[in-house]
Amino acid sequence: MFEGRLRLPAIFIAACMVGVMAGLFGVGGGVLLVPLLVLIFNFDQHRAQGTSLVALVPPTGVLAFAEYYRAGQVNLLDGFLIMPGIFLGALAGSQLAQNFSGARMRRVFATFLFLIGLWQVIAAWK
Amino acid sequence: MSLGHIEVIALGLAAGVLVGLMGIGGGIVLVPLLVYLLHMDQHMAQGTSIMVLLPPTGVGALYLYWKQRHVDLQAGLVCAAGFLLGGFFGGRWAIHINSKNLQGLFGCFLMIAALLLWRKAKPRQPSKPPGKVHV
Repeated sequence: MFEGRLRLPAIFIAACMVGVMAGLFGVGGGVLLVPLLVLIFNFDQHRAQGTSLVALVPPTGVLAFAEYYRAGQVNLLDGFLIMPGIFLGALAGSQLAQNFSGARMRRVFATFLFLIGLWQVIAAWK
Repeated sequence: MSLGHIEVIALGLAAGVLVGLMGIGGGIVLVPLLVYLLHMDQHMAQGTSIMVLLPPTGVGALYLYWKQRHVDLQAGLVCAAGFLLGGFFGGRWAIHINSKNLQGLFGCFLMIAALLLWRKAKPRQPSKPPGKVHV
């Protein structure tokens, strides 16, 4: 949809909007960025996932983190305990991703996310 | 190290597999896990999730994608800049929303992300006829 000179500025604007969502919900943003790269910018699936990981390597959430930290909304100990698992698990996951077409896996994951989302909505606003 | 600590470490490992598999940060599964398994409130779960995403935990996964040439470095860096800027405003915004409403909004966000994930799941390789993709 966006080719040539418009491509990078358009990607930047999309990433800014994803960034607001990421800060608002305490997530990395990849879960929105990957589908957007595929649907709007014509990335192939593996390329979108690899590119999303580039965006997650620098500490892009540092400004959002500072806001949460100042408000006393961070559990440092649990955070540190989770980090090594994410690193090792991510290695295993990407090895898996190279080995099979992820179409069915993604649908399972999407269904799982949808159900958790629904559960959160019901728990919050019942 | 108590059983609780081991539980937290295992939780990180499970989230990490999804990071590599889907090319995402992991926060989207961490936040609900922290809320339901560790009984954190919504703000605390989100703040802790953001903290976990600060170090480059996905760098090993990135290397494996890089070796297969599945990385657009320029686009990735542009996205990083956008995340930095957008994240600041998102973080400020979240602090002022009460925990219950934030949890509900997070649920809506998950459902939208799920719908987007579902849509892009169509195969794109021209060499394989549609409907005959073997997983």
